[in-house]
Amino acid sequence: MFGEKAYLLIKELDRNRDSLPPYNTELLSEIHNEVKQLVTENQEDANVSEQSRLVENVSYVPTLKIRHAAIKRNIRCILAYHYNRLKCLKTIRWQFGSILPPEVKANLSQAEIDFFSKYSSSLMQYMRGIGDDGGVNLAVNLKPPKSLYIEVRCVVDYGQLELSDGSALLLKKNSRHHLPRTECEELIRQGVLEHVV
Amino acid sequence: MDEDTDDILNNIIDDDDDANIQMTPAELIQKMEEIWINEKFAPELLPHEQEIVDLVLSQISAMEDNVETLPSADFKKGFYQLEIDRIRFVVTSYLRHRLEKIETYVLHVLKEDEEREEAYLSEAEQQFALKYKEALEEHFDNATMFYPGLPFEDWKSNFVRPNMNSFVFLKAKSNVEGVVVDRGQGDDNEIVDIKAGSQMLISYKGVSDLIKKGDLRLI
Repeated sequence: MFGEKAYLLIKELDRNRDSLPPYNTELLSEIHNEVKQLVTENQEDANVSEQSRLVENVSYVPTLKIRHAAIKRNIRCILAYHYNRLKCLKTIRWQFGSILPPEVKANLSQAEIDFFSKYSSSLMQYMRGIGDDGGVNLAVNLKPPKSLYIEVRCVVDYGQLELSDGSALLLKKNSRHHLPRTECEELIRQGVLEHVV
Repeated sequence: MDEDTDDILNNIIDDDDDANIQMTPAELIQKMEEIWINEKFAPELLPHEQEIVDLVLSQISAMEDNVETLPSADFKKGFYQLEIDRIRFVVTSYLRHRLEKIETYVLHVLKEDEEREEAYLSEAEQQFALKYKEALEEHFDNATMFYPGLPFEDWKSNFVRPNMNSFVFLKAKSNVEGVVVDRGQGDDNEIVDIKAGSQMLISYKGVSDLIKKGDLRLI
């Protein structure tokens, strides 16, 4: 049946709601082939229809319409697949900053990597342009701050951390610290520290 | 707590209001919170308040400078720091909401802005929107142009529009007369007067102008 593979594509997206599965090139190329086949069949039938209109009154219009609808549906599914992956990619950008972790990068197609770098650079340009000096980093303070200092536990061995007032901390695995919120937020987002409630 | 903040702010502010807006710092922060909440709950992009954002940002940096001069053992320093952080959160949240709306409705926003005289987007936002639109177009063209002769997909003509009929909670700041409530079925339109201080749940379409003017605010 037409459009079944496109449906599989969307189902795959639905299964991994917030994470990016690997870019499904095989399924996409199968859909491309299906669309190409439909388009060529359509063009042939359209020609036949034109030529035989005066002689035999053979009209393939209903077939043409069905094929056209199938083509459009396949293209819609392709666009929806790409758009939702972009949405996921944008959320990742806001979480992790402009450098992609390699596991995520392995799942992206080349076009998506290009889009990510363009999006990242236009975001940075926007952020630089807002404040008067150096701009405002919009990616901090994603939740309203409730207290100044927070208790964190180190998840991995990070090494030396230099705080803004000059003192240095050694972050070993499972060590607990009581630190100002601004220092920790970046590291919490990267997964180095863990907020202990 | 508010009096302390006012003290600190009044010590540093001489006359940083070059614009025609004259506000005390407390009023400025109040206004910032109001436009933040309006932007959060309105379904469409509201006119930008770049001057207020700039003023608040300069206030924050002035406050930061002032806080650094306090002795570190003073426990009040923590409170001031927290206040600065919270104000900064309001500003960044406001800007983030606007960016999110621009990204979702990018074609609609750019088209509307061309037709309007006073743009709703600030210049930096306009550039961001244009670049984002180009990146999106290129990506989608890459995805769909794999065979010549395809029906050129009309994703550009059927673009995503904000839902103007969504319902919003609002509170009236002054007496408003003659708000048209559209029932949606035929010409059954009611005309409603809203008294100052009353709160109601209403469809966004009828009140959008009043929110932009400032007579009503969303809650």
